[in-house]
Amino acid sequence: MLPKFDVLTDEQINKIHKNSLKILQEIGVEFSYDPAIEVFKKHGQRVEGHRVFLDPDFVENMVEKAPAQFTLHARNPEHNLVCGGENIIYMPGYGAPFVYDADGGKRDATMADYDNFVKLAGASKNMHMTGGTVVEPTDVEDEIRHLKMAYSHIINSDKCFMGSSSGYEHARDSIELTAVLHGGLDVIKEKPALICLVNSVTPLKYDDRMLGGLMAYAEAGQPMVIASLVMAGSTGPATLAGAMSLQNAEVLAGITLTQCINSGTPVVYGCTSAVTDMSTGSLSIGNPENALFVSASAQFARFYGVPCRGGGGLTDAKTVDAQAGYESMMTLFAASTTGVNFVMHTAGILQYYMAMSYEKFMVDDEIAGMVLRYLKGFDTESDEKMAYDVIETVGPGGHFLTQKHTRKNFKTEFFRPALSDRQSFDGWSKDSLDTNQRAKLKWQEVLANYTPPELDPAVKEKVEAFIEKRSKELLK
Amino acid sequence: MNPIFEEIKDAIVDGDEDLAIELAEKVVAEGIDPVQAVQLGFIKGIEEVGAAWTSGEAFLPDVMMAADAMKAGMDVLEEVLAAGEGEGAYEDKGKIVLGTVEGDIHDIGKNIVGALLTSAGFKVYDIGIDQKAEDFVAKADEVGAKIIAASSLLTTTMKSQKVLVEYLDAQSLRDKYKVIIGGGPTSAKWGEDIGADGWAETADEAVELCKKLLG
Ligand code: B12
Repeated sequence: MLPKFDVLTDEQINKIHKNSLKILQEIGVEFSYDPAIEVFKKHGQRVEGHRVFLDPDFVENMVEKAPAQFTLHARNPEHNLVCGGENIIYMPGYGAPFVYDADGGKRDATMADYDNFVKLAGASKNMHMTGGTVVEPTDVEDEIRHLKMAYSHIINSDKCFMGSSSGYEHARDSIELTAVLHGGLDVIKEKPALICLVNSVTPLKYDDRMLGGLMAYAEAGQPMVIASLVMAGSTGPATLAGAMSLQNAEVLAGITLTQCINSGTPVVYGCTSAVTDMSTGSLSIGNPENALFVSASAQFARFYGVPCRGGGGLTDAKTVDAQAGYESMMTLFAASTTGVNFVMHTAGILQYYMAMSYEKFMVDDEIAGMVLRYLKGFDTESDEKMAYDVIETVGPGGHFLTQKHTRKNFKTEFFRPALSDRQSFDGWSKDSLDTNQRAKLKWQEVLANYTPPELDPAVKEKVEAFIEKRSKELLK
Repeated sequence: MNPIFEEIKDAIVDGDEDLAIELAEKVVAEGIDPVQAVQLGFIKGIEEVGAAWTSGEAFLPDVMMAADAMKAGMDVLEEVLAAGEGEGAYEDKGKIVLGTVEGDIHDIGKNIVGALLTSAGFKVYDIGIDQKAEDFVAKADEVGAKIIAASSLLTTTMKSQKVLVEYLDAQSLRDKYKVIIGGGPTSAKWGEDIGADGWAETADEAVELCKKLLG
């Protein structure tokens, strides 16, 4: 792995850190959920109504308790993932209610789309897990959506996935279902197998649903991403330093709560902060400011000794065009080269999280492959890699195409594109397909050839029984 | 022309809420014609900002701060205007109750819609986030609004927009109000499905929609 670069000096880190602690101590954070308020009271923090004022030393001590890294367990141990350190984890986009088609069409996302994106992630060598809420399946009743979504991840792939955090009850369902898959709640407490996303409500609030989710995961010892999305200019200050201070305060408050509930619970420092487009008010994510927020967050996570979530193949474009490509490359590259460990939204997102696109998924998958290759850097370990001998053999003026050394090494040293076109003009112009059109053919081919890894029938039965029982209860 | 009208206009263009209130209070205290203050001051100002917005010279903070200043100043004048003081009469383009539906706390889009409607001359009553159908209707009844505008940003709370229409039906109030809806995951089709009177994708389109509905 390459060394990670910093975008802030130590002095800047310190200034923002101090600013965040001052926000927490003097302005405070609102927690709407009473059980959370009780936890803070028990830990001797000043509480007025639902507002909690956090002592700086207390925050630092609590954040200290969160582990620097943890392992997330998959049903197939080959897909276990270490989150933290030098590792990077890629997965599909999260939460989009729409699907945009190759021809520019827009439609509501469905459960069939859900299964497809999980399969595409399962098939991809660049996607380390299958993510969570890969689209919002609007054709499934929301009472039981979380169960159907979890089932899709369990059945269509053997990689790690994310669970629901929307309220204590849904969170608890996801955790128990994962426990069924892995052989019990005590098994996953020992070996965490489910991770979720908990968002603050910027500025400076956490709502009931998210806190209910947070408490369920913390109690069960399952990891969670604690993230803040500051829309600089609307839900936060228009200065990068101000927005970063606000985001940092919120994330620190959330992490503090998790450690109060269950000391040592694995958490990931999450950043989705970006800017507001001042002509429309919409969130804008495919930009250098977003890349800077994400890179700075990776640095803060290192500073606090926890893993970091941020970035992805992020764009404001509505179709797979040049804008989609250049914005996504910038945001994924920045996240990956500055030390982000957990990258939700790596593949598929269009229009600031509003839509998923199959074609975009394939483009991002290609970008992900390119970035992963870049991260591997140079291998200078062996004489073989230094290639002195072969340079000597060929000598001045020859060529390397017919050397054994070449044939042996190019496959591992070179990135092999799956989507990019490297043909001659004549070769390309036989079909004249642009990236969007090639991506469409590609995902159809991948889906057609994908066979989900088998799930032990006995386990499958138990999983289905659990879902059936809970669905009946929830739809009553 | 009384120089205070020009000052009011500038206060609106600058988005200076405090100054707008101060000047409105002066209008009341000194018995200056409030209708003229509105027409030559407040409306002139907001029209100027609106034009700059349309031509792309003004940005959201400009429009939203101007709308806030306008609203604050107009609130001060409300009483004298209602009492019919001044030459002629001032009437807003229509009253609109605006809010985010139950279960939903997203409010940036709603706030922008409110600001642009205000700057287009509508009187907007923003009831905030996470509001039940009853709350929308109670406010509309209280202020005599013609339009109820409901924002929803979540696929899971969109159905609260449907509940709003159904509630009006159940109360036999459906003909009394125009219901318009909007927000990220909503669509024209959703608006039709639930029997709303209109849907708009952006705040600018929301203004056009309201003009059409009340026009
Ligand atoms: C900022 C944001 C938040 C902030 C909100 C802060 C605030 N004060 O509003 C916070 C962090 C609190 C938040 C929380 C949540 N969010 Co959120 N959030 C967003 C985000 C990124 C931007 C929303 C926004 O403000 N856009 C900018 C404004 C200007 O656009 P707009 O609201 O669409 O408004 C325009 C038009 O729609 C229209 N309009 C709006 N209202 C109306 C009303 C009428 C009558 C009319 C005519 C027109 C109209 O005019 C506006 C201006 O042009 C969106 C994604 C996105 N890109 O939109 C997700 C998103 C909406 N959130 C989402 C989710 C899931 C959530 C959470 C459940 C948690 C989570 N996983 O993030 C919670 C839910 C909390 C709750 N109970 O409501 C999902 C929704 C998916 C779905 N199922 O529908 C989205 C799409 C993101 C995603 N892909 O996951 N969120």
